[in-house]
Amino acid sequence: MNWNLLSEVLISAVRMATPLLFVALAELYSERAGLVNIGLDGIMAFGSLVGFLVCFWTGNPFLGVLCGALGGVLVNMVYAFCTVTLAGQQIVYGMALNIFAPALASFIYRVVFGVSSTLAQATLMKTVSIPVLKDVPFLGKLLFDQTPMVYGVYLLVIVTAIYFNRTKSGLNYKAVGEYPKAAETMGINVVLHKYIACILCGFLAGMGGAYLTTCYVNTYSDGIVAGRGFIALAAVIFGRWSASGVLLACLLFGFFDAMQLRLQVGTDLIPYQLFQMIPYVMTLIALTIFGSKIAGPKSKGKPYYREER
Amino acid sequence: MQKTKLLNVLIPVLSILLAFVIGMLIILALGKNPAEAIGYLMKGAFGSKTNLANTVVRAMPLIFTGLSTCFAYRCGVFNLGGEGQFLAGSMAAITVTLLIGHEGWWVTIVAVLAGTLMGGIWGLLPGILKTWRGLNEMITTIMFNYVATLFMGYLYTTALREGSVPQTAPVPDTTKIGRIIPDLRITWGIVVAILLGVAIWYFLFYTSKGFQLRAVGFNPVASSYNGLSVKRYMLTAFIVSGAIAGLGGACDILGTQFRLISGYGGGYGFDGVALALIAQLHPLATMAVAYFFAVLRVGSTTMQVGTGVPTSVIDIIQALVIIFAVAGSSMMYLPKVRKFVMNLFEKKEAV
Repeated sequence: MNWNLLSEVLISAVRMATPLLFVALAELYSERAGLVNIGLDGIMAFGSLVGFLVCFWTGNPFLGVLCGALGGVLVNMVYAFCTVTLAGQQIVYGMALNIFAPALASFIYRVVFGVSSTLAQATLMKTVSIPVLKDVPFLGKLLFDQTPMVYGVYLLVIVTAIYFNRTKSGLNYKAVGEYPKAAETMGINVVLHKYIACILCGFLAGMGGAYLTTCYVNTYSDGIVAGRGFIALAAVIFGRWSASGVLLACLLFGFFDAMQLRLQVGTDLIPYQLFQMIPYVMTLIALTIFGSKIAGPKSKGKPYYREER
Repeated sequence: MQKTKLLNVLIPVLSILLAFVIGMLIILALGKNPAEAIGYLMKGAFGSKTNLANTVVRAMPLIFTGLSTCFAYRCGVFNLGGEGQFLAGSMAAITVTLLIGHEGWWVTIVAVLAGTLMGGIWGLLPGILKTWRGLNEMITTIMFNYVATLFMGYLYTTALREGSVPQTAPVPDTTKIGRIIPDLRITWGIVVAILLGVAIWYFLFYTSKGFQLRAVGFNPVASSYNGLSVKRYMLTAFIVSGAIAGLGGACDILGTQFRLISGYGGGYGFDGVALALIAQLHPLATMAVAYFFAVLRVGSTTMQVGTGVPTSVIDIIQALVIIFAVAGSSMMYLPKVRKFVMNLFEKKEAV
């Protein structure tokens, strides 16, 4: 394998890892407040549609991403209300989102573009290269010649890591996910924190979805998310609920995705479907080897009743 | 007790009505006439003998995947792999049929068994990962779904491809599962589905093993203190629910679809989850809900042609029903709401 090929695969890996990273961070914020949200796939699907539509109408990918993120928040408010206020089962509502949001997205797409599918295309976000740094051999093209979304997500990883480990507010936030009753006793508003978590989760997951239609491909199609929400969930477990761990996990999964794409082009002998399985199979293998018996925030998945003693 | 039972029926029914009202509002917002849409929907579902038969045909795979979900969730296993297990069953059935090369009823039986077995194996894999490595089954089953779907792609584009179109050869005529009435598409598969549903209902609620299985689902810690092997019950739930979905896949490919093509079986698994949740994980109710949604789906195609309302409005309604139904039952756990409802009941009784 020569250097060019490797750098090509790595650049593509960074690109593939970005949506995963957005969504995995979304889940991180959610689970740190004790809310397991398996509806990420659904939120992403809705975010990708809204992002695409806005980008298609205005021609501005940045506005598309912003609106996609807001769309994600909107959808996730259903989850927030049902799991926080009504204290319903988180798994069930996550599942409901996975059914509801893609259906809504596909419905809106058909209403906008008609039942007979016409292929509508929008503009893609352009890469912004950082002067001087981009000329560094090998690393320059890899790290400093990407879309602003990529820079944004790495900044977000750093901010998240600092927030959770170095600030008082971040520790309060984590307390909500570990032991909400104790947190409440200490004067932390648990319900408010959970709602904030849902807003952040919806925003970031919607952004990850919008990335797919504004930076990756320039059309929307049903099933565009292709299980990335679940891979991101796996990345959170694999990354042991820390921002840096999640970053590494997403880069690894992104690398598998990039490798899969690259291998498909390379050979005709092996059917391409076997390569397409790589990200999913590697997720399973990675979890099997490293993901066992690690628990995240202690109260995750449990409903919180404020009145209960 | 009686009140809780009444609520268990009342909440899903109200949720369905409410979801429908919203669905109608959406249609109205599109500038279409809801009454007309409903008319087309009914005509599409019940307008002729063929259409009526189609609703039953459409319900069959949904009953299987719904029951598969029911069985697993009752044991606390959140199997989202109905999709993959269903496909594993179809793929095993058609592969066996085509490889044997003979025709006849015995091939059908072998193929159905192969499908059931393969579905069970596809359920066993995440089961092993769950009990041995403690991995969350929701993630692993989804990954296995994608692997199964891609493997199906490999079968119809490469391994079992017939001719220039990417699809497999069809199941030979005499191997197909027979029709109950020759000119309608309803096969004996639906009888299998219904019998299975009744059997699961009996097993879960009227046998001691079924009780233990539900106990494990309800409270694994208490169950293990009572000497139940939680892991063994969970593994069983994985295998059986996979096998049920696999049997469904085999019945579907041998009775309705006959060949693997692109997009085959898409959505049956998740629909099964949705149905079972709406039916509050009750096997008999699951079958009823499955038929209800089959009616909507068959009817909605006619509605799309007639009025231009996209069929995905049915998906939205389906998801809304889950949201309302589960919200309804979790609201009942909130102290304030519970008190209010119980008061309501008492007033009724006083009158």
